Amino acid sequence: MLPPFALYRPSSLAEVADLLAAHRRDAALYAGGTELLLLLKEGLLRVQCLVDVKRVPGLAEIAAEGEVLRIGATARHRTVERSALVRARCPLVADVARHVANVRVRNVGTVGGNLAFADPHSDLATLYLTLDGMVRLWSRAGERDVALEEFLRGPYETAREEDEVLTAVRVRPWPAGTAGVYLKFGLYERPTLGVALAVSVDARGRVAAARLAVGCVGPRPRRFPAVEAEARGQTLGELAADAERLARAAAEGVDTTSDTHGSADYKRDMTRVFVRRALRIVAARAGGQEPHARYPHTIVV
Amino acid sequence: MPDTRTPSSFSITLSVNGRAVALDVPAHALLLDVLRDRLGLKGAKRSCDVQVCGACTVLVAGAPVSACTYLAVEADGLDVLTVEGLGSGERLDPLQEAFIEHGAVQCGFCTSGMLVAAKALLAEEPAPAPERVVHHLRGNLCRCTGYRKVVEAVVACGRASGERP
Amino acid sequence: MSAGERLRVVGQSVPRIDALEKVTGRARYVTDLELPGMLYAALLRSPWAHARIVRIDAAAARALPGVRAVVTGADLTWCDPYFGPAFRDRPILAIDVVRYEGEPVAAVVAEDAEVAARALALVEVEYEEQPAVTTLEEALAPGAPLVHTSEPPAGHFADLSSLRPVPGTNICHQFHFERGRGHAAFAEADLTLEDAYSFPRVQHYSLEPHAALAAWDDQGGLTVWASTQNPYSVRVELSKMFREPLSRVRIVVPFLGGGFGGKTYAKLEPIVGALARITDRPVRLALSAEEAFRTVRRCDARVRVRLGLRADGLLLAAECHADFDLGAYADIGPRIIQKGTYTATGPYRVPHVVLHSNAVYTNTTPGGAFRGFGVPQLAWAFESLLDEAAARLGRDPVDVRRQNLLAHGEEYVPGDTPIDGKFEESLNRAAAAIGWTQAARPGRGRGIAMMMKASIGPTVSEAIVRLHADGSVTVLASTVEMGQGARTVMAQIAAEVLAVPVARVTVATPDTAITPYDQTTSSSRSTTMMGRAVYEAAEDVRGQLLRVAAALLKTPAHHLRVEDGAVVGRRARVPYPALLQERFGMGGGELIGRGIVAPGRSAAPLGGSTPFWEMAVGAAEIQLDEETGAITVEDYVSVADVGRCINPLQCEGQDEGAVMQGLGHTLFEEMLYERGQLLNANLVDYRVPRAEDLPARLRCEFVENGDGCGPFGAKGAGEGSLVPVSPAVGNALARLAGVRLRDLPLTPERVWRALRARAAGQSQGA
Repeated sequence: MLPPFALYRPSSLAEVADLLAAHRRDAALYAGGTELLLLLKEGLLRVQCLVDVKRVPGLAEIAAEGEVLRIGATARHRTVERSALVRARCPLVADVARHVANVRVRNVGTVGGNLAFADPHSDLATLYLTLDGMVRLWSRAGERDVALEEFLRGPYETAREEDEVLTAVRVRPWPAGTAGVYLKFGLYERPTLGVALAVSVDARGRVAAARLAVGCVGPRPRRFPAVEAEARGQTLGELAADAERLARAAAEGVDTTSDTHGSADYKRDMTRVFVRRALRIVAARAGGQEPHARYPHTIVV
Repeated sequence: MPDTRTPSSFSITLSVNGRAVALDVPAHALLLDVLRDRLGLKGAKRSCDVQVCGACTVLVAGAPVSACTYLAVEADGLDVLTVEGLGSGERLDPLQEAFIEHGAVQCGFCTSGMLVAAKALLAEEPAPAPERVVHHLRGNLCRCTGYRKVVEAVVACGRASGERP
Repeated sequence: MSAGERLRVVGQSVPRIDALEKVTGRARYVTDLELPGMLYAALLRSPWAHARIVRIDAAAARALPGVRAVVTGADLTWCDPYFGPAFRDRPILAIDVVRYEGEPVAAVVAEDAEVAARALALVEVEYEEQPAVTTLEEALAPGAPLVHTSEPPAGHFADLSSLRPVPGTNICHQFHFERGRGHAAFAEADLTLEDAYSFPRVQHYSLEPHAALAAWDDQGGLTVWASTQNPYSVRVELSKMFREPLSRVRIVVPFLGGGFGGKTYAKLEPIVGALARITDRPVRLALSAEEAFRTVRRCDARVRVRLGLRADGLLLAAECHADFDLGAYADIGPRIIQKGTYTATGPYRVPHVVLHSNAVYTNTTPGGAFRGFGVPQLAWAFESLLDEAAARLGRDPVDVRRQNLLAHGEEYVPGDTPIDGKFEESLNRAAAAIGWTQAARPGRGRGIAMMMKASIGPTVSEAIVRLHADGSVTVLASTVEMGQGARTVMAQIAAEVLAVPVARVTVATPDTAITPYDQTTSSSRSTTMMGRAVYEAAEDVRGQLLRVAAALLKTPAHHLRVEDGAVVGRRARVPYPALLQERFGMGGGELIGRGIVAPGRSAAPLGGSTPFWEMAVGAAEIQLDEETGAITVEDYVSVADVGRCINPLQCEGQDEGAVMQGLGHTLFEEMLYERGQLLNANLVDYRVPRAEDLPARLRCEFVENGDGCGPFGAKGAGEGSLVPVSPAVGNALARLAGVRLRDLPLTPERVWRALRARAAGQSQGA
């Protein structure tokens, strides 16, 4: 059961700001509550009031802003999954949304809540890193955009200040000629490992850009610029052949933590395995093939 | 509508299994407790309490939610379907009949959640393949049946509805 | 009934009689029950694995409006606060010392659950941490801190009257069994091998956590509605603790949302009984799933096995040593070690054995009964080593097993029931079904394992059958319905004997004030033992019907039979209502039949002969992702010798559930402790099987030779099929990948580590 609290339902960001200023640490921002309500039940968080942001106009909106896709903070995973716009611009985002937790969490949980909670075992964070995810933070003082990689500081820790509201995340869909994949591996409710990879191929059939992110294995998801650089210029065939070497490089550079989901050395080796698998899948997809890739306890998106 | 003097208490109106219900609830009241303790609908159960097991599954506006982690106030103005709302009068829902026929019920504690989850699935996908049923029921745990007969019952029900005129 | 008669409802997959209630959400479990004036209890639990309680300050909690009582161990001087079936070592609330993280230290009772939760936070407890032993190794080390410093009185079971604790140690019981020449026989073996295995701490995770509701009445009697598998055992406990005669203690059992052994013997009933007495109001306590992890679990074990074989594969000698971790309180642990060790050598003939097990206390969640009851722990070890032996001899593991099987009718141990089934038939069926003699597809491997388990004996089961004036029937039996379908089976038996439709049979809710004595719903015993009692009671009624009809029709009773709700002779048919009218001279009255099944003690080592031997075989075909270590069970066959399926669909459902539950401890489940703290007492971090873990092909088959002592030749079922899962999968892994894992669960990481060690060993050896 939940401890008692007051529930405010402001209808503008200004009201939200007022409430945060008035209550400070005694208030928690609330959208889907799939993480927040659990913390309250467990007694890991104590607040006097919840500030429900779902009635602030525009916060749930999914819209195109030129090349960029804006996903409102209070958009539910299910909405993202079914959004025609997301499917058109960045189908992998819609498909990954279909595999977050279980169907009930997807109906209620929100993108903003997921990112703001910064659970180290999050699918979205890993994927959005490959989409140059930018988090928009709003406060009375103004708005600022923070790159997702900087926004996520560590387990359950973000760059959001006490008086700021995460209003949206902006992702830059990959250019045409990009194949991507998201793999998540693990036995438990939260994934042990997540790998997001997108490879853009130019007219000559060579890798123009690679975007690789690995998450869940350590305090926060990271990109691998060195590995991405190595991939550039290769043909798809070369990429597939080079996959093990590139994967090893990623595994050497990844930061892993031992916890109930696995030991650090195991996670490091799984990084190698799944980055390699991701490279081979993407190389195939970029070549117009859909490889029959099924691995135990792995969701391939 | 919130009582602005005390945003700790709300008057809500919801439709539960087709019946309009008006209630005053505290802000922190969970839908599961309101259904069970205020409305006497004991079908949905509290089990894991962390949104994993699905024993508390109810439909809000047709979508399955974990009632154990869902504020009652969020259901204001919406339709809620619980296991008690399946079937009508003397007639069982085809899913309920399928569960009985296929032996998909043992201790019964997961059954309400399974039925409601399956109901939502069949509304979206009238004749799902077994893999689709398994994907959709990923969030419903059972310790008794081993799942096989549950999946069979849902698949059979889906297939049968396809054959019905 | 003669063997040749055709059965009408027994052997049919009739829909379970509680199905309608369960699919409509109308079935009632303890937490669905309310009484006027009911209060809500909550328990404050120890954060320490071992600590002295220095001080408890409940003043602030008591002062909170809505709180009716805050109770600690010190407040329980008016009753006997200790309970436990083997040792009465478990206090209702900790007294002076806490022995495991999560042990209840104080109880709050309030007008609603929210106030109770808030009051809990206001109770202040000062602890003085003590050194704790949280593993078998720590607990058995010389000079280890003791979990219990004094020897508690024995509990209420006669077979445990010879409890053998080792003073000054954490060993609270030992079981020893020898046959033949013991150790000396190993000298004759051509092949001797030895290895050590471990079985993890796992939790039942019944979907319904434990719950109980207690109320004292104006006459000083106590009623407890309890989610319990043995109301009569609970009754005896409460009677002793509260010093009330048995006739004034009433236990009522609605549906259980799962049990699997975790709800045997008193758990919550003592505390709710005490709280109800103190507050003089009904009190309900419902645990959360997290609290269930801190209430009961399976006893983990370390098992060492040594086998001696002849070169031709004949088993000569076996030595098994098992240390079972009972946790902080013994519960039924002493019997678990006995039961598990008794059939340590499985369904094989081994002339020379030395078996020894220790029941060891640790400062962790108390262990208790869990499907298999000690046998999974031993079988994991023995069946693994047996496969190793086969490999060393260059022999097929199925052949080696077949060669050594006990025969139908063979004596197992003098004084105990002879083997009541054909092991070879089950083995052959399982092997054939998995395609054992055909090559597996590339990348797949197969493993097989067998088990044998004694059921509990001696026991008592009594039943009453009432035939009402309209020809409908009520069965009074205290067998608890926890999903296994026992109520339906009893209805089928009564319906068969009395030739009425199952729909006309009502099975009453277990209620010690109404339904007569039954030992327990566990040990796979209810179909056989209570089934026989119901059968006898129904036969009793049938006999009365025939006698009334015989007098009425002036025909000898043996020329009459029952059929379709009537007694039928050559030229007459008299429906039951007419017979009752004849018997009572009016339209009222009922016939009452009684059945009592009480085989009594015997010379068998466990105190009573087993009513039947539970037998099962499991065969698994697996695939391995060598890079991640993840095992996928692609095909699993279970063959259980059940004598007769009273309800085939229910038997199948039970065994499918048993196999999946076995996959849980085989592949995923493990309670993780760190310095006495349980890290994963929740369903996010504790992984139970999901629908996606179903093998692509799962077949649960049954051997029905009518070999059982139960009605219509039935034996028990429901536990056996769980046991072979882990060794079958472990053996498949060894045969496929050449790695032998000795510790469960076979998580991907464990397998990965073993594969790397093998690769490193190979590269070193090269």
